[in-house]
Amino acid sequence: MSQSMVYYVTTILVYLGVDILACWSFNLQYGVAGILNFAFIMFQAVGAYTAAVLTLGPSSGNGGFQHYILGWTLPFPIPILVAGVVAAALAYVVGLIALRRLRADYQAMVMLVISVIATLVVTNELGLFNGPAGLALIPEPLSSLVSSGGYPWLYVGVTAAICVIVYLFVHRVTSSPLGRTLRATRDNQDAAQALGKDVVKLRLFIFVFSNAIAGISGALLVEFIGAWSPGSWLYVETFVILTAVIVGGTGNNAGVIMGALLVPIAFNEATRFIPPFGRPGLVDAMQWVVIGILAPIFLWFWPRGIIPERRRRFKVPAILLVGSDQSPTRPEMTTAEAKGEVD
Amino acid sequence: MTAVVPVYSLGFGLVTASILALAAVGFTLQFGVTNILNLAFGDLMTASALVGYGVNVIGGTLAESLLAGAVFGAIASALLNRYVYTPFVRHGTKLFGMVIVTLSTGIVIQNFILGWFGANFFSYKVAQTKTYHVVGMYFTSIQFMIMGLAIAVMIVVQLLLTQTRLGKAMRATAANPALAQISGIATDRVIDVAWLMSGALCGLAGVVLVLNTTSFQSTTGNDFLVVIIAAAMLGGVGRPLGALVGAVILGIATEVSAAYMSPSYKEVIAFVVLVIVLLVRPGGLFGNADAVRSSNA
Amino acid sequence: MSLNEVPNVPVQSFLEVRDLRRDFGGVWAVDGASFEAQSGCITALIGPNGAGKSTVVDLIGGALRPTSGQVLMDGRDITALKPHERARLGLVRTYQMSSEFGRLTVLENLLVGVPDQRGERFRTLVIGKRYWREQEEAVLVKAFGLMDRFAMSEKRDEYAGNLSGGQKRLLEIMRSLMAEPKLLLLDEPMAGINPTLARVIEGYLSDLAKEGLTMLLIEHELDVVDRLCESVVFMAQGKVIATGKMEELLKNTGVLNAYLAG
Repeated sequence: MSQSMVYYVTTILVYLGVDILACWSFNLQYGVAGILNFAFIMFQAVGAYTAAVLTLGPSSGNGGFQHYILGWTLPFPIPILVAGVVAAALAYVVGLIALRRLRADYQAMVMLVISVIATLVVTNELGLFNGPAGLALIPEPLSSLVSSGGYPWLYVGVTAAICVIVYLFVHRVTSSPLGRTLRATRDNQDAAQALGKDVVKLRLFIFVFSNAIAGISGALLVEFIGAWSPGSWLYVETFVILTAVIVGGTGNNAGVIMGALLVPIAFNEATRFIPPFGRPGLVDAMQWVVIGILAPIFLWFWPRGIIPERRRRFKVPAILLVGSDQSPTRPEMTTAEAKGEVD
Repeated sequence: MTAVVPVYSLGFGLVTASILALAAVGFTLQFGVTNILNLAFGDLMTASALVGYGVNVIGGTLAESLLAGAVFGAIASALLNRYVYTPFVRHGTKLFGMVIVTLSTGIVIQNFILGWFGANFFSYKVAQTKTYHVVGMYFTSIQFMIMGLAIAVMIVVQLLLTQTRLGKAMRATAANPALAQISGIATDRVIDVAWLMSGALCGLAGVVLVLNTTSFQSTTGNDFLVVIIAAAMLGGVGRPLGALVGAVILGIATEVSAAYMSPSYKEVIAFVVLVIVLLVRPGGLFGNADAVRSSNA
Repeated sequence: MSLNEVPNVPVQSFLEVRDLRRDFGGVWAVDGASFEAQSGCITALIGPNGAGKSTVVDLIGGALRPTSGQVLMDGRDITALKPHERARLGLVRTYQMSSEFGRLTVLENLLVGVPDQRGERFRTLVIGKRYWREQEEAVLVKAFGLMDRFAMSEKRDEYAGNLSGGQKRLLEIMRSLMAEPKLLLLDEPMAGINPTLARVIEGYLSDLAKEGLTMLLIEHELDVVDRLCESVVFMAQGKVIATGKMEELLKNTGVLNAYLAG
């Protein structure tokens, strides 16, 4: 493989890993708990920023052309873990404001406002975030371990490993009674509360937990590309992840991998091969138009996505089978898969 | 007095409040009646401003620009509701789905404008006007016009809502659509009218927003959306009078605060005000907390 | 039929509502309601539309906060508790509108019913399945037992959102029973469903009462009330007009007139 090909393939793989993490995180909120987090990208960005300032070294370096706080040089993987913690802490504060017992669309509005305001603060706080220019020259973690040619593959490996670890935790949520109860609160908050579920606490927990994953995904990305700028974390980017989750299959961890593959990855790559036409930026704008049309099309025709949330079946407990000649037959489903709906 | 609050910034505040009031009342009116959170509102403002700009370019007067923007906004909103939003609602798309559909619509409109006209700024050609000095505040004649227009429109909307049968029908539909229908109100037509009115306000707001700043681009309306939402929530979503009060508070708060800190923090102040109000009164100043509480019905 | 016929058995009031009031923007939906529900029997809450019955259930369940007044369960003042805290004390309710978890299966709906499961605690993330497997097994056994008893086994893996209206009501009652309630609030559990299934549900409620479950039932059908309930609370215009046995209320023509006028 030529050097440029290696670079191309590994970059796509790292982006895919980051997008998969983001989609899992968003799906836990939207698909499992029923929280439409329009501020999602903010948590990813905060994680990325945290990791950046924990690896960059003193801000006087490189001639002191950029300003930021801390400027530590912590070894891998500490910056990535701390990124998760900081994103979680921010999620806790935001959750306290936005996740109170309000109507779900009202909550989404609050988060949208928070997200846009965060961008404003970041682009204006030059001392803290270096303004719209963002941060650059973030050193590569672990680069001393391998030759520069092998480094991209090492990072792909790191990304894959983090994906596997995160998946184990995500799976623990979605396959446990906790995930079930969260889906119940998604379907009907009041009824869940009447059954003794502390809805506010549960939702706050999943919000904090999944946004920690978002923070980790942002950190992973920024450590790879070596730069961070507020312009690439605008709230519309949340919409790409949202579309990926809807297209792939809301509520299904495997489905959202498919979504990550199809929407952020395939879409970006596809436009790479479209010869530029019209005025500069036209292709980009049209790409957004297509993404904007994609989500409603799926909501109309395939509201459950390509790989729908699976129906959970349980084995008959062994204790009930003792003494009966035949195991209970499983009735055939007479009703086809319910026509899905998003609420 | 000048030592406490710079009076000139109060003047800016009144202008901002006027623009915000037009937009926020339009936004909340429609949300109250139809229960659809229209996140394409800001981008519709941009589109309406563009139409007004077109009239301006071919030599139309200010009044013609405003009229064109309002008519475009009204018709575009009504069509959007009838041919996009309502079909989705009938198709069974619920709360979140509708939020996503309206957000998508906004993204499509915004990028359509971007793709068609590029990322450059449009500049309204406005005749050089005199600046008037009123008790320490400075206004251009355009800003006087904006404030006058806002006051007139607010009075008309308030009268319409409280004094006419149509207004009562709208309020009844907002409170309980099923009950309104049983009581013989043609809710479909009421909803159409709500979209037309909301759209006209949206169009007016779009044109006056860019008249005040004289230049705009494809994202201008959407950038303003957050403040509109904040004003509407501050007053209590679905409450036109509340949105008006919210707009006045935020308009003045943002501009006055800009006199003390970086002007780019104006919107941050709006946010701080909003968070405080939401923590104390989740339903907003004029809203009913029960109306915004979670329910799955 | 009445517990009162045996004088030596003290009748315990399990639920006590004291002078409950609630206003909505100046309108008093509940305007000074006081009554008691005896332990181990079904108390009916009847009255014309708009009498404030559902609001009373919302106030007892905690979905609404009273403007003033108290709710006592088993002698304990629970007025300040949140709905989920009341549920954990054994106070479970159903809704007038069907409130199934639509995209969960019937079985899953039942599994959710058990409050405070180990698998719902956050430490399940750290410890994993072994932390909750055993309890889950017990919960499953209970759920299968309930499905068997209420003849819903065939619908086990059906999405609750696909059930008929009557089946949804039944599922809701079953889901409440998973919580092993001490007091069950039922808001018109038989409204709007076919008469056959309504009779089936009535039979189940009667069985549950015999097993000693305390229930408060909002019901429009006076025959049903007559058959099921030992005592009746009659509400109109936010106030409790009369309490007593059904036959006593029927004799009292004033009460009946108020009901018919509504």
